[in-house]
Amino acid sequence: MDVSDILAAHEAKQKAVLVEKDIPLEVDSGFLTVTDLNTIDAESYEADLEEHLISTARDGVQTLIASLFSLPTTSSPDGPLAQLPPPTTQLPRAKPLPKPKPPTKWEQFAKAKGIQNKRRDKKVWDEEKQEWVNRWGWKGANKDKEVQWLTEVPANADVDYDPAKAARDERKARVVKNEKQHRANLARAEASSSSSDRKRDIDRTLAVTRTSTASLGKFDRKLEGEKPLKGVKRKFEPTEISASQEKSQNLAILSKLGKGPMTKKSEKSSQSSGGEVLNVRKAIRTVSKGKGSAALARGGSTKGKKGKR
Amino acid sequence: MLRIVKPKNARSKRALQAREAKEVEDPRVAIFVRGTHAGEKVTAVMKELMALKRPNAVSFSKKNLVRPFEDASSLEFWAKKNDAGMFVVGQTTKKRPDGLTFVRMFDYRVLDMCEVGVEGWKSMADFKTPKATPGHKPLLHFASELFDTHPRFIQLKSILMDFFNGEVIDAIHLAGLEHVISVSLGPTPASLNATTSTLQASSSTAAPAEDLASLPAVHIRSYTIRLLASGARVPRVELTPMGPSLDLRLRRHTTADPEMMKQALRRPKLRKQEVEKGLGKKRKNMEVDEMGDLRGRIHVGKQDLGKLQTRKMKGLKPGRDEEMADEDEEDGDAFGAEGDEEEDGGRRKKRRTA
Repeated sequence: MDVSDILAAHEAKQKAVLVEKDIPLEVDSGFLTVTDLNTIDAESYEADLEEHLISTARDGVQTLIASLFSLPTTSSPDGPLAQLPPPTTQLPRAKPLPKPKPPTKWEQFAKAKGIQNKRRDKKVWDEEKQEWVNRWGWKGANKDKEVQWLTEVPANADVDYDPAKAARDERKARVVKNEKQHRANLARAEASSSSSDRKRDIDRTLAVTRTSTASLGKFDRKLEGEKPLKGVKRKFEPTEISASQEKSQNLAILSKLGKGPMTKKSEKSSQSSGGEVLNVRKAIRTVSKGKGSAALARGGSTKGKKGKR
Repeated sequence: MLRIVKPKNARSKRALQAREAKEVEDPRVAIFVRGTHAGEKVTAVMKELMALKRPNAVSFSKKNLVRPFEDASSLEFWAKKNDAGMFVVGQTTKKRPDGLTFVRMFDYRVLDMCEVGVEGWKSMADFKTPKATPGHKPLLHFASELFDTHPRFIQLKSILMDFFNGEVIDAIHLAGLEHVISVSLGPTPASLNATTSTLQASSSTAAPAEDLASLPAVHIRSYTIRLLASGARVPRVELTPMGPSLDLRLRRHTTADPEMMKQALRRPKLRKQEVEKGLGKKRKNMEVDEMGDLRGRIHVGKQDLGKLQTRKMKGLKPGRDEEMADEDEEDGDAFGAEGDEEEDGGRRKKRRTA
């Protein structure tokens, strides 16, 4: 059997829909976008601009359509829908990413106890009326006790006991309680989100303002019960330490010296890893007289100032 | 500054909720603002752009004294008021004739801006061809290597993508693809070929004039798509000019503040459904934890405790068991006399003898 004809016919069909370029086109199906990174051919651009634009656009769109038609589809009433992959290009958002809502007190409790969230329908079935009625609200089922024409009264009830009023008071009390809980949840959410940062910020601002007068706060009028400002407590290492400890401290300084100037990040990581060694940054500053580790590594030049110490 | 509104009824509450930040955002609403003097050309271009952007477009019909590169406060106010994420400001001056400024917002503040000058344009009405249905999503096509290398054009591409097609969707009806917006550049000048790597994103107005003039022109064209049967699964595409067509030149710009950009590029954590989404079939016993890792539960069947390896002791060696078996029978009588251990005697005896 000779299949060359069939193959040739297939090839011809493919030719019409295939696009060949030096650099393959970049397709972002998520945003329905294709980018053609080939250089613009100046000759065809000069010759006929519109023709050039439409032909490059056609090639790009052909590639994009080919990739869109190869996506998996799902059926819908209007016809097949192509499932798009998430976009690869990152576009900036218009609004910041929403923060997850902090759980309410009930949600915390339910989670701790493993209680599944059950959705309560807004409507309940009324056996007597044989229809669906609202659980609350207009003609709500929670008002049944208040509107029924006959109510059982307990034997020990007061003379002026009004069962409808009692039921209504009870319902209103539930509403008030719920509102109170709702408010408490909101307050808790507010507090958990930013309070600690805010308190620290306020304290710091206050401390700065108190020392920001000409006398550094010395002659300011004190309020009653105002506590004196706490400064930074300074800690000193003991002057006499064991030889091994001293050795390890000095070695720690030496090991830091070759590394060049410290960045914020490395500083943070070194503090978290070996916090107990000593304040290396400060030690370097003292030894190099504030010139940094680079100056110390160069050495020699500090000779002249030695006597000043 | 707008006052903080507390909703008093359900309708205004819903309206406020619709404005809140969402994980997957709606497309940006673009406001078309005319400057102190827009001019015929720019007004018409803005009208055409609005036709493409509809229904996410708001038009300000009055003139406004607004200079986005000098004072963005009124843009920020309008963004807040209209819940808009983008602005197109048209302004014509003697120094910068027929200018269009695209302004992108983040959190109601200006993220970045790009000004282009309209050099030539052709209206939609000038093309006597069928038009795309308003509101349909366009395809986008960008042609030039500068969209990958030159910071100005990277920004322009990002802004135009946001303008025309910034919405993340998960499915599309292929028959509804009706038009394409093609953005191509002029030939890359020789000066840009070699120096693109060293070229920095120079901020705003400081860009020297000859630098701007050397940047290639931007051609925006829109075409309707015709899908023709090709015999293969993929149809053959033919394009018909639809209009509008614009020839633009880049002018001033501002880049985004890196910190703000970082905030704007934050992605939500990978959604559970996305990772779980296999090839259309439901997968049992799999779940995705908070880190986005897929965790599976497997059933390992019932364990045979008889084969369980307990602590190894000399006396429990299987080899010795058989050896002992015959000895047990001999000793059996002797121990049996001491206590009544007839049933389990065998095992205990073994231990004692060991």
